[in-house]
Amino acid sequence: MINIKNVHKHFGKLHVLKGINAHIAEKEVVVIIGPSGSGKSTLLRCINYLEEPTEGEIIVDGIPLTNEANINKVREEVGMVFQRFNLFPHKSVLENIILAPMTVRKTPKSEAVKIAQDLLVKVGLADKEHAYPEQLSGGQQQRVAIARALAMKPKIMLFDEPTSALDPEMVKEVLDVMKSLAHEGMTMAIVTHEMGFAREVGDRVLFMDEGRLVEEGTPEEIFSHAKEERTKSFLSKIL
Amino acid sequence: MNFDFDLIVRSFPLLLVGAGVTVQITAFSVSLGLLIGMFVGIARLSNTWIIKALAAVYVDFIRGTPLLVQIFLIYFALPIIVGQRIDPFIAAITACSINSGAYVAEIFRGGIQSIDKGQMEAGRSLGMTWGQTMRHIILPQAFKRIIPPLGNEFIAMMKDSSLVSVIGFEELTRRGQLIIARTYGSFEIWLSVAFIYLIMTFTISRLVDYLERRYKIDDKH
Repeated sequence: MINIKNVHKHFGKLHVLKGINAHIAEKEVVVIIGPSGSGKSTLLRCINYLEEPTEGEIIVDGIPLTNEANINKVREEVGMVFQRFNLFPHKSVLENIILAPMTVRKTPKSEAVKIAQDLLVKVGLADKEHAYPEQLSGGQQQRVAIARALAMKPKIMLFDEPTSALDPEMVKEVLDVMKSLAHEGMTMAIVTHEMGFAREVGDRVLFMDEGRLVEEGTPEEIFSHAKEERTKSFLSKIL
Repeated sequence: MNFDFDLIVRSFPLLLVGAGVTVQITAFSVSLGLLIGMFVGIARLSNTWIIKALAAVYVDFIRGTPLLVQIFLIYFALPIIVGQRIDPFIAAITACSINSGAYVAEIFRGGIQSIDKGQMEAGRSLGMTWGQTMRHIILPQAFKRIIPPLGNEFIAMMKDSSLVSVIGFEELTRRGQLIIARTYGSFEIWLSVAFIYLIMTFTISRLVDYLERRYKIDDKH
């Protein structure tokens, strides 16, 4: 579903990604872990071209990310959830969710509203459709953000540290929504520091450090039988 | 010195007609300037270097030369090129709009840049184009933030429009000059003219305050 071939990314002199090769299969849940600055968020942002790789190739659902038209097409199929939610503050919850389906997919309003309401039920916020983002807690905002991404009926969902900006008591409500998505067979790539979640929900775990993919394997392989010293030392500090 | 209050009373209706023309030219110029400024402001943030460069040249030229000279250029120099006399009203509005557009462009640019980068990323990640995200997400938020500086620009334009009196266009200042030429009542008339400008700019500034407060209350909507 997603093919990442020899991807490099430079920010000026900073070499953030140093030749990443990775593959994500359909319906697979891949969790990317690693220390801050290891390039995991950058890699995720390359998948929908919010960051343009300096070198290498990314193919999503058979479409190579080469030109603007292709990039927009891929973005329609790839939902993204951000650390800081990035809801549209001047629009209500409902308007946040129906905007993209109406402008991009040309979905009629009545239908878009119906889809949005169903999604709000799914993320447990059916009573919040007329609220504005600032009136919601962080956890609620992030669930709206997930609903907003799902409204485009994406084939793939990317999560960039979705719980890092949340108060601890709100982490679970967001992870629960992500868990149910995983159970429904959504293809997901998740950057997170929630190791319990990675172990429970991930099909595969990628460990990154200093711009390289150091090790990958099942959660069991990574968390209990890591082969690489760097993986072991990282996990020993956080588990 | 004897102060001729009666002169003020007699001249007031004529001055008010001039004030009406000042309001008209300001309204036209600010509206057109807003339109120009929005597009140029966006152009200054373009990724295409030629669009960006053209916008920068326009802004730099207008901000780097006096409005008075721009008015002369359009009223006296342009007819030589197009081979036709330009109506003072058209010349006045053209000069003022083009002038205002450059300042408004900088206001828009600042407003757009003040919106969190994540908003554009969220819009783009949902498959919306740059233009769609600009229109639905960025501009509505930016617009609210730039109401106060736009109000200042509106007020500045109203005062600067007095410069078009030099091409004989009969707005408030020119009316004052004409009345003085007949009556020699410099003091009374300039005082009246100043007072009328003050009333108009004060009204606009209250209006802007009101708009600003209204948007503050429901900041996010």
